[in-house]
Amino acid sequence: MNFNTNELRVLFQIAFRNLFSSFLNVIIGGIILVGTFFFVVGSSLLNNMDTAMSRSIIGSIGGHLQVYSDQSKDPITLFDNWQRPDLAVIPDFSKVKDGLAKIDNIKSVVPMGINTAFVAYGNTADLVLERLRKSIDAKIHGDHSTANLEKIDSLKSHVQQILKVIHDGMANIGTITNSGTVDPQSLRDLEKAESKDFWASFDRDPLNHLEFLENKIASLIPDADMVFLSYVGTDLGLFQRSFDRMEVVDGQTVPNGMRGLLISKYIYEHQFKVKTAFRLDQIHEALGVTGKTIAKDPDLQQLVKQNRTQTRDIVFQLDPISNAKLATKLKANLNSNENDLSKLLADFFTTTDANFNERYDFFYKEIAPAIELYRIRPGDFLTIKAFTKNGFVQALNLKVYGTFQFKGLEKSGLAGSTSLMDLVSFRDLYGYLSPDKLAEMNEIKKQAHVKTVDRDKVESELFGGDSIVGKANEKRINDDADLAEAKSKTRDSQNASSTITQNDIDHGIVLNAAVLLKNPALIQQTMKDILATSKQEQLGLKVSTWQQAAGNIGQFIYVAKAALYTAVFIIFVVALVIINNAVMMATLQRVREIGTMRAIGAQRSFVLQMVLTESVLLGIVFGSIGTILGALCVHWLGIKGIPAGNEFLYFFFSGPRLYPTLSVLSLFFSMFIIVLVTTISALYPAIIATRVSPVEAMQADE
Amino acid sequence: MQKHHNSSSIVSINNITKDYHLGNVVVPALHHVSLEVESGNFISIAGPSGSGKTTLLNLIGCVDVATSGKVMIDGHDTKNLSERKLTDLRLHTIGFIFQSFNLIPVLNVFQNVEFPLLLQKTLGKKERETRVLDLLHKVGLNKHALHRPTELSGGQRQRVAIARALVTRPKIVLADEPTANLDSKTGENIIELMKEMNRVERTTFIFSTHDAKVMSQARSIVRLADGKIQETT
Repeated sequence: MNFNTNELRVLFQIAFRNLFSSFLNVIIGGIILVGTFFFVVGSSLLNNMDTAMSRSIIGSIGGHLQVYSDQSKDPITLFDNWQRPDLAVIPDFSKVKDGLAKIDNIKSVVPMGINTAFVAYGNTADLVLERLRKSIDAKIHGDHSTANLEKIDSLKSHVQQILKVIHDGMANIGTITNSGTVDPQSLRDLEKAESKDFWASFDRDPLNHLEFLENKIASLIPDADMVFLSYVGTDLGLFQRSFDRMEVVDGQTVPNGMRGLLISKYIYEHQFKVKTAFRLDQIHEALGVTGKTIAKDPDLQQLVKQNRTQTRDIVFQLDPISNAKLATKLKANLNSNENDLSKLLADFFTTTDANFNERYDFFYKEIAPAIELYRIRPGDFLTIKAFTKNGFVQALNLKVYGTFQFKGLEKSGLAGSTSLMDLVSFRDLYGYLSPDKLAEMNEIKKQAHVKTVDRDKVESELFGGDSIVGKANEKRINDDADLAEAKSKTRDSQNASSTITQNDIDHGIVLNAAVLLKNPALIQQTMKDILATSKQEQLGLKVSTWQQAAGNIGQFIYVAKAALYTAVFIIFVVALVIINNAVMMATLQRVREIGTMRAIGAQRSFVLQMVLTESVLLGIVFGSIGTILGALCVHWLGIKGIPAGNEFLYFFFSGPRLYPTLSVLSLFFSMFIIVLVTTISALYPAIIATRVSPVEAMQADE
Repeated sequence: MQKHHNSSSIVSINNITKDYHLGNVVVPALHHVSLEVESGNFISIAGPSGSGKTTLLNLIGCVDVATSGKVMIDGHDTKNLSERKLTDLRLHTIGFIFQSFNLIPVLNVFQNVEFPLLLQKTLGKKERETRVLDLLHKVGLNKHALHRPTELSGGQRQRVAIARALVTRPKIVLADEPTANLDSKTGENIIELMKEMNRVERTTFIFSTHDAKVMSQARSIVRLADGKIQETT
């Protein structure tokens, strides 16, 4: 019948009545409330960050698993741009591809090689002079069109403009240091270049004049730059199919069968964009997204200051006509009487919170079209130099087809700073010689009569017999010709525009490969399968999960979770101790009441249940309030979004804002913990309570 | 049909001794006490403070155990009963009225009276309600069913306690100084009520008191002094 429910009812009745009867209970309730609140909010946030970050890593270059050679000295790390792990080479990717294809849960295996190279490019003067040279070449070869002649005139005056800016800059240095910091020879060269005679004689002998400018003047401008480029060499087609978060921003993807480079949009903006524009973008974003103000934020003030003082980047790029045009527009915009563009720009870039947006728009509408906003454009060739494994520098001209980004990671330097390259070019830069190539090299060596000389035999080989030297001398001229031929041959084979086949991609070295799974839940089993296959087919592979491959970043979430759980644990331990004490006190205060119940006929078990019910009810009531408040808080954050204040958070949030969703699991878990904690803390007092003798009921009032 | 020596005795105490230990000192509370209480009696245990009244009641009420001797309650030898069984015996056979009323403060009058029935788990909701309200009517508190104990006077509280003691229809009701915390007029009323219940319900009442006026209401009196029975009348 309903006997048990009756007893339960009276238990709850007593427990509920007691709930708010003491102030102590309210304090305990408060602790439980705060504890559950933080637990629900914190664990929801971390769970969301965890999924966001795993999306970031898996969807960018990580994949679910990474395989690499078991001969490697270091475990694989994907995002340590400064300290690349020392990975041994997987000599033939096709074997890995074929081997792993047998495992059911594997969707695709994307070959990879991660490396860092540097890209050097000329400064503005170099660029202008190069254009001038092209036009003059065209003129020499018969292009006397008005367009070309006008272009030459414009470029010439642009050069003169640059000379003037350099001169002003040097004058500044002179006044600042008041000493001979400026090389007098440079100053003489500059004066010569600026002289009327120089330009008067320019057209008579343009090539020599150009050479003088290129050699003596261009080097005076310190804006030549070297950019480090982290890249992944991969099967670009497969990569794009496998990593759904990748999207092309500018230009196009590298066409099938072509060599080429896709620069990360992040690097493109950070390294290749005119600094002034980049700084404006940064301020724009800070004002828009994070709600900072120029008035209060020192970082933004610094950016404004740099823009104000470094107007040369822009002035350099303008020939006198564009210069004058822009000056007129700026004068109108600023309501100024100033004629000097540098000063007008300095004035223009002195932005405040009030005028920033208007000037930002003006910059992109009026100034940006007049200059080269990026130092390279899709379609340009870029010379990439990398140190090979053997230590020598390998250079490659690669066409930049476009820029790309990983959705959600646009602003993250961690995942976003990696560019993409075709696998064959990667191999060239990595300095790996395939057996074919090695044979070819040996052929070249043979043709050039280069032979490997043992160290101890060098002397005798070089100076040993007259006969050898003599023979060599006889063939010297021919040698040179052969060498030239061999050189051109190697260059041919490294010609960046040469096409590549799937066969080229698959047969060759890789450093690692990303494995994407059909069912990510089976990741552990698949890892085992991969190792088994590797053993069976002697692939020599090691496997890392994406967390491991993400290195410190992958661990971050665990650290954060550990910190949260520790904090929650401490709160609950404190709660445990306090609840224990409080229930103990309450029990002692209620000895008479408990004794009476026992005398009337309540069993010990009833008393035990009564005390436990009271505590658990306390936990459930206040825990529920805390959980509900936490859930509301998460819901509110989910609507409003938490802004990613910096690049790290951008990565963890997998986007500019994190919109957390409530994790139902954390709700259940928090309630479970509450019930557990309150039960444990009330257990001892409850047992004590059962020992209360019914005799206690008989005691008269003191 | 019951096996103890006096078939009309609901309580049969044979040569019991009860000692308390205060540290190393043994304090004797009862000395070789024997007592027979026949069913339906209205008996008073009298004596000055410290004479052993409460101890005797505790032994009869099965909340305490004798050091030696035999206590038979409703035919059960309490020595042979487990703690659980003793609790059950208290629940079903004995009702308690305390000097300080001992109502459960968080429950209202109705719930306090109902409480032993809930522990018994034998009656349904309707039956419990009928029985509780009937008793509250008999003790004159039917209008106070939803009041909390703190809202009642001392006399009213003791009436609730009487109702609670009687609600399980026990064979014995033990009352330890039931009037001690009440003024004499109210005390008299309480004794009147107990007497009335004894008459109507045929419940055996055993109560301790040192008030001569209260004592005079009893049908028989057991006088205790220094842990021994002086006189039974």
